[in-house]
Amino acid sequence: MTPSLSVSQYLELVNVSLGQMPRDFVIEGEVSDFRVAQGKWVSFDLKDEKDQALLKCFMTAWQLKTAIEDGMRVQVKGAPKIYERFGTFKLNVTDVEPVGEGALKRAYELLKKKLESEGLFDLSRKRSLPRFPERIGLITSRDAAAYGDFLRILNNRWSGVEILFHQVHVQGREAVPDILEAFAALGSLHRPDVIVLTRGGGGLEDLQAFNDERIARAIYASPIPVVCAVGHERDESLCDLVADVRASTPSNAAERVVPSREDVRYEVQTLCDHLFTKMEDALRERVTVIDEATRRVSFLLERQKERLARVSEDLVSGPEFWFSRLRERLASHERVLKELNPKRVLARGYSIVRSGGRVLTSVSTLEVGSLIQVQFAAGSAQAQVRRVNEKGQQTLV
Amino acid sequence: MTSKKTVLNFSKAFEELEGITRWFDSQEQLDLDKGLKQFERGLELASELKKKLSEVENKVEEIKKKFADPL
Repeated sequence: MTPSLSVSQYLELVNVSLGQMPRDFVIEGEVSDFRVAQGKWVSFDLKDEKDQALLKCFMTAWQLKTAIEDGMRVQVKGAPKIYERFGTFKLNVTDVEPVGEGALKRAYELLKKKLESEGLFDLSRKRSLPRFPERIGLITSRDAAAYGDFLRILNNRWSGVEILFHQVHVQGREAVPDILEAFAALGSLHRPDVIVLTRGGGGLEDLQAFNDERIARAIYASPIPVVCAVGHERDESLCDLVADVRASTPSNAAERVVPSREDVRYEVQTLCDHLFTKMEDALRERVTVIDEATRRVSFLLERQKERLARVSEDLVSGPEFWFSRLRERLASHERVLKELNPKRVLARGYSIVRSGGRVLTSVSTLEVGSLIQVQFAAGSAQAQVRRVNEKGQQTLV
Repeated sequence: MTSKKTVLNFSKAFEELEGITRWFDSQEQLDLDKGLKQFERGLELASELKKKLSEVENKVEEIKKKFADPL
């Protein structure tokens, strides 16, 4: 008797058989009807342009490491499965990789736009590097020219630095996990002052790890400032855009992380010269103050000396002048006194009349018959008053 | 780690020298005693820095993979 199975039993059997299919290949096709539901569930159709074949694909958003859109050529890996409820055949996708320069470029542009809108490239969050780093974390491949270039320029410019070198693959499948591990170890364990992530130039396909969203986010989250240097000056990677400092080449990265010995030597000398100048100025200023004080004191002394000389001169010449004036004044007083001498008046013919020893200036006290003395310039006489103011005996002449 | 010490000192010494220069620039009337002390310190730092600049070595230490790392 032919065995009978329920639909679900049958589909389960099919799914088991599908699970045993070989997996060592990728499926390449063009994306269409790309959708993301609730920010979590990703679905799209994979089509062949020519043969009109269509494969329904399903995956979670966190499994999708690259940005895709309709019309993009991709390679996918995954496990086929029939969903019992709807009876639909779908590929549970684990990996999606854009194919060809065009698709890679498009994926790059999409991811760039997304990270930019999230603020990963904001200039305001760029940190400055320490001027004299003591420890530098270096993430690159020893086999790459970048490693040699970076160290050569570093040694040319500066010394005394400890370089914590993390050997990583810079391309291929191991590149992303290697670099993520290096960031984790440096950020949490070794804590250098700055991290340098570098590799030489290459095509978009070679640089894929440096355009990987996970690495871009690791740089963004790094507690230590990151310098990114990829390839030649024209190459741009998402890591460059997220990094705190973007160097154009591995050599340029060395120039950005350490100063030039010669520049610093010159600067130290300049600071030193400046100190000398300042000190000299200060001393010169003091000397000027002292000079000025000396000048003022000697000026004052000079003035005092002049005054002293003048006073001494006055003392010497003064009395002579003074005495002669005094002598003149004395002589004039003498002259006046001489003029007033009554004897000189008598000499001119005047007489002095006295009565009882008193000089008379009026007849009021005289009576007729009283005696008076008349003094002349030469000699004197006594007389008797015979008449006073028309009174008394009239004498006939 | 000798190199660490060297660079740490370099950075600090350089900053101190810059600080002394700034101090000189900010003085309206320089205190001569203090100025001379600062000046001497500045010269000492400058000579140390110049000495450090003549050193030549950088040290590369490779970080081992997680599984092999005793840390």
